[in-house]
Amino acid sequence: MKNTVWLVSYPKSGNTWFRMFLANYLKNVAAPVSLREIESTPLASSAIDFEKVIGLNPFELTADEVDFYRPDFYRILSAEAENTGEVNYKKNHDAYTLNANGEPLFPEETSRGAVYFVRNPLDVCVSYANHGAGKVQRMVDFLLNEESYVAGRRSGQLRQKLLSWKSHIQSWQKQSLIPVHIVRYEDMQQKPTETFGSIINFLCLEYDEERLKRAITHSDFRALQRMEQEEGFPERKQLCKSFFWKGKIGNYRDYLSDKQIQRIVEYNYDTMKLFGYIDEHGNLTV
Amino acid sequence: MNLDSPIDSLTVKVIIDDVGKLSAPRLSRPSFEVDENDFFLDVRNIARYRVQNGNKVFINPHENADIASIKLFLNGSVLGAALHQQGILPFHGSSFEYEGKGVIVCGHSGVGKSSVMVAFCQNGGNFINDDITPVRITGSATFITPIKTGIKLWDDSLRKLNIEKNGLEKIRPALEKFYLTEREIFSEEQRLDHLFILGTHQKEEFIVNELTGMGKYDVLRKQIYRRVYLKGMPATEKSYFKQLLLLAARVRVTKILRPELCDIYETMANIQNEILR
Repeated sequence: MKNTVWLVSYPKSGNTWFRMFLANYLKNVAAPVSLREIESTPLASSAIDFEKVIGLNPFELTADEVDFYRPDFYRILSAEAENTGEVNYKKNHDAYTLNANGEPLFPEETSRGAVYFVRNPLDVCVSYANHGAGKVQRMVDFLLNEESYVAGRRSGQLRQKLLSWKSHIQSWQKQSLIPVHIVRYEDMQQKPTETFGSIINFLCLEYDEERLKRAITHSDFRALQRMEQEEGFPERKQLCKSFFWKGKIGNYRDYLSDKQIQRIVEYNYDTMKLFGYIDEHGNLTV
Repeated sequence: MNLDSPIDSLTVKVIIDDVGKLSAPRLSRPSFEVDENDFFLDVRNIARYRVQNGNKVFINPHENADIASIKLFLNGSVLGAALHQQGILPFHGSSFEYEGKGVIVCGHSGVGKSSVMVAFCQNGGNFINDDITPVRITGSATFITPIKTGIKLWDDSLRKLNIEKNGLEKIRPALEKFYLTEREIFSEEQRLDHLFILGTHQKEEFIVNELTGMGKYDVLRKQIYRRVYLKGMPATEKSYFKQLLLLAARVRVTKILRPELCDIYETMANIQNEILR
């Protein structure tokens, strides 16, 4: 049954922000839902869930061996959700890749669709550096590395192959087995009703403009920042001061050197142009 | 190929023929099948295992598999299935004796159960089991049963515990996880006094919470090793219900949330305070 929706992005591209919007939209209550509601859209890469379902310790398998089991893992989760009639929303940072058997990690027959969140790689870079409390230069290299991955070993999450920023989005664009709806982080900020509304329509959820606007207000970036300060946020890393950091468009200008900007732009030029981060004259739009 | 059984009541036989699958399993998953007294597990490119009646294991190794990997899954998921078939509650936890008390530290894989157990062993504790701890519950008492499996530690944990990794055997050729040289292990059962559930969070402080009432039962149930197999073993699950109620009434149960990044000995100290309290 096609009851799984993948919420896909390179890290720090608005995925968690959308998950809070979705939690508010689905719950449809007068007050903003707690940040704890993020658990209603769990991580596709949860090692704990993998071990519970597959019955093997993922950290005693190699990452490639884990990938053998991941399609089955998602099929079983889908079958279990079938009994409740609910949709499985899964946050996902993986590029769309095949395991060593040539099988896609995300099975077509259980996937209803994927919402892909894309953000200017220059802003992704500085936001990701803050998230991991890492050096900006290391993040520049990470975004341009075709073998980038996160987690694995015993980090609590399964290894996720991210590839480079451009290859990540291309991997989801090029596959044809799962319908993908791409939204820009910048549009989520600048045209929220239209952008969030387009996702509601893609997901075939009941469209209600009043409900939509309320969910947007309840998941406003500043509201999320305030809630994080008051109650904490379970997905914040220990060394990261705040998960909901700045969310500012063009924030990279305060952190990246001209040389770092040039490297990212040169490597991702066509993809950045495709998504409007570079205009027809070759200039950065932000 | 010779593989030792981790428990005396289990015979292990390596065979060339396929171990076969169950005819009409109550629980069927792509990589395993379960009935009350029959179990099949396929670890891809390693081996296919069959466990029957709690006392026999048949192993059909993959042609390119290494013996360390075959042994690892025998002493893990396969042992878990055998213990379930014997009706002996296996907990996902490492156990030791400290100041005369039997202690189990439970938690999900990677949370640091083995590391903290070794830290105790460096400070006056005595090793009983690593990762899986069977608990035998009688009408009047509750015991930790020792099994013959080694302590497994990642290279970074060895470093933090000041243990030299040179000369230690890898648990699998591709992993930087090692068997710690055998310590003297308990040969007799040890009374169980205190069970800890270790978790992590992203905050800076430790949160310690001793449980009471039915909350203990719910939490204990979730610490059962390979609980998913019980979906195919309803009679065993029913017998565990009674055992868990007895256990909840007899032992102290404490949840400890540690910072994701923290010192192993600090975790040990927090557990130590609770054991001695």
